[in-house]
Amino acid sequence: MRVAAGVDVGSTQTKAVVMTENGGRSILARALVDTGANVRKAAENAFVAACHNAGIAPADVGFVVGTGYGRYNISFGNAQLTEISCHARGAHFVCPTTRTVIDMGGQDAKAISVGSDGQVLDFVMNDKCAAGTGRFLANAADVMGIGLDEVGPLSLRATRAIKIATVCTVFVESDILSYLAQGKKAEDILGGVHLAIAKRTLSLARRVPLEPDITMTGGVARNVGMVHALEEVLGSRMQVSPDAHFMGAIGAAVFALEKMDQSFEFSSWRPEHAAGSGH
Amino acid sequence: MPEVKQTEYRGSIHQRQKELMLKWYERLNEAAETGTPPTASLMISGNCVELLEAFGAVPIYPEVNALQLAIRHQSLEPILAAEEIGYAPDNCAYVKADIGCYLKGITPTGGKLPKPDLVLCNFVGCNTYVKWFEHTAVLTGSKLYVLDVPFLCEDEPTQAAIDYVVRQLKELVTLLENITGKKFDYDRFTEAVRCSAEVEELWSQIKHLARRSPSPFDAYFDAITLMGPLYVYRATQEGVEFFRAALEEMWAKVASGQGVYDQEKFRLVIEGPPPYPYFRTFRDMFAKWKACAVASTYSTVGGLWEFGARHDPDHPFESVALHMLSQNVTNRNYLQRYEQIKRYIEEWNADGLIIHFVKSCRLFSAGQGDMRDYVTKTLGVPTLYIESDLEDPRYFAEAQTRNRIDAFFETLEHSKLTAKAV
Repeated sequence: MRVAAGVDVGSTQTKAVVMTENGGRSILARALVDTGANVRKAAENAFVAACHNAGIAPADVGFVVGTGYGRYNISFGNAQLTEISCHARGAHFVCPTTRTVIDMGGQDAKAISVGSDGQVLDFVMNDKCAAGTGRFLANAADVMGIGLDEVGPLSLRATRAIKIATVCTVFVESDILSYLAQGKKAEDILGGVHLAIAKRTLSLARRVPLEPDITMTGGVARNVGMVHALEEVLGSRMQVSPDAHFMGAIGAAVFALEKMDQSFEFSSWRPEHAAGSGH
Repeated sequence: MPEVKQTEYRGSIHQRQKELMLKWYERLNEAAETGTPPTASLMISGNCVELLEAFGAVPIYPEVNALQLAIRHQSLEPILAAEEIGYAPDNCAYVKADIGCYLKGITPTGGKLPKPDLVLCNFVGCNTYVKWFEHTAVLTGSKLYVLDVPFLCEDEPTQAAIDYVVRQLKELVTLLENITGKKFDYDRFTEAVRCSAEVEELWSQIKHLARRSPSPFDAYFDAITLMGPLYVYRATQEGVEFFRAALEEMWAKVASGQGVYDQEKFRLVIEGPPPYPYFRTFRDMFAKWKACAVASTYSTVGGLWEFGARHDPDHPFESVALHMLSQNVTNRNYLQRYEQIKRYIEEWNADGLIIHFVKSCRLFSAGQGDMRDYVTKTLGVPTLYIESDLEDPRYFAEAQTRNRIDAFFETLEHSKLTAKAV
């Protein structure tokens, strides 16, 4: 059995996926850990946990591709690729008709135009501003004293969504406090927060051709309120897999399997990058 | 195999460039100490340095001073000094660095900068220049003269616009006579214009060598090294000699088949100035991928000469006016900037375009989103859009920038590999 793995070290959480190729490619197991301060350890923990969940020893994994911001800190990885390439490839694996990926993570929001073979054709990302990312939602949840898992479902109950003018992750806190002081309902405030992020994200995403099928990836895809708000602003449905959160790691694992096939000789896959070169 | 790094050109002209720039700062220091030679502050883009040369006056380029500070990681202190007296965070960081230098007495080399005898604002394209030089004149107590150069809305400047600028240049001659106490020397002016024309021809030939594969130099990062002498010494015989030597060295590299990398993998066009506070880091991000810039719009800020325009010693005033109006990228309209990039991509055989958006320079950067759309959608050429600043280190996010650049090259590499496989 040929086994490969992808490890996606994100700003908030680290995801690992173990895949096998036995006639067809399939996911054997997943694991998720908080990244925390020790990026290297988080990557290792996620990888070991995914192997454990798959019922295999780490040594049985033939090739590991790291992705995400912490990819160069994966001491055991064989190669690194950006999460842009990996989310596109992961979305294509899960939903082969994907032509656009909207990825919302802890600090990033990005839109990727995807070719028919899963390759990146074009991409745009937010720049030096966490508006439109998971961090914006987390701050809003914090200031309202509501768990991050609850804000999405609660936002769906909004009857008169408040218009949130700011998209600044810091200043939104004072806006929310002000609305709370005015006696506005939590669901209406959250409805407004989700819509503000959706509009901000799509104004960025429209820089690439938003061709169907549109697949949403990243941790924020687990938030039903955000999916709803994006679809409302977009005016169409998106593909949202239960594995949306793992899409970068899935893509990395697909690349790892391809590397084992030696399909392509990428210069970015030089093993010395894995040696912790201080990037 | 070690990661590719440190590939900048290090020939004899690199050393000569350093000497020439040091000599320039020494002359400015001398002017500060003794009051001679006379000096004038002016802008890089579309300037009339030939007129200063005719009076033996030395140009002070605040932009060069600012970038020299940034590249030495010294720009934040003067920027903060300017913000302390009220400049806003999103004001032009070049302005703030320059103003902060006056406030703090900082210079790139540690020597002195003179109080300019004339603050000469050759306003082109960027209206921030006017406010910048007004402030400089107030701070230094120097005389201010603002040239009004109409923006190039059409393909070519009108005769009325040329005449309008020539009239101002002649008024400036009288002003310079009064300031320097010297009579205008028309022959010396013509000679300066002739030197400029020769430098432009040599520089143009060097830039055309980048059409070869491999390119003998990086037409963005290495071009910036050559741009110092290009601006400071354009209208002088020293400039002519420097660029003769540069062309000779580049030809030698071409003859031996020597490129920037052992194997040039990607050929790029780059739009916008670099993040000077992270110049080395930024260059290494491209070196990792063996990506060589074969053309850049930034290297045409001072003058756009690779398409044939030259100063003309037979019509010195008119040709200086023409250059100020139309032969620098800053004063050209967006459709012309599109066309310039299109020609680079096609004639210099580039794989993609990098756009570096400068946060604190809205005038140059506004519209680059549409430029990206034009290049990706109309020309079908991959384009990467990244944001930071040319002077303010606070706007540079290394991990984010690296991520975008890596993703861009992963995509380009995949496209090349799959194209080969078909």
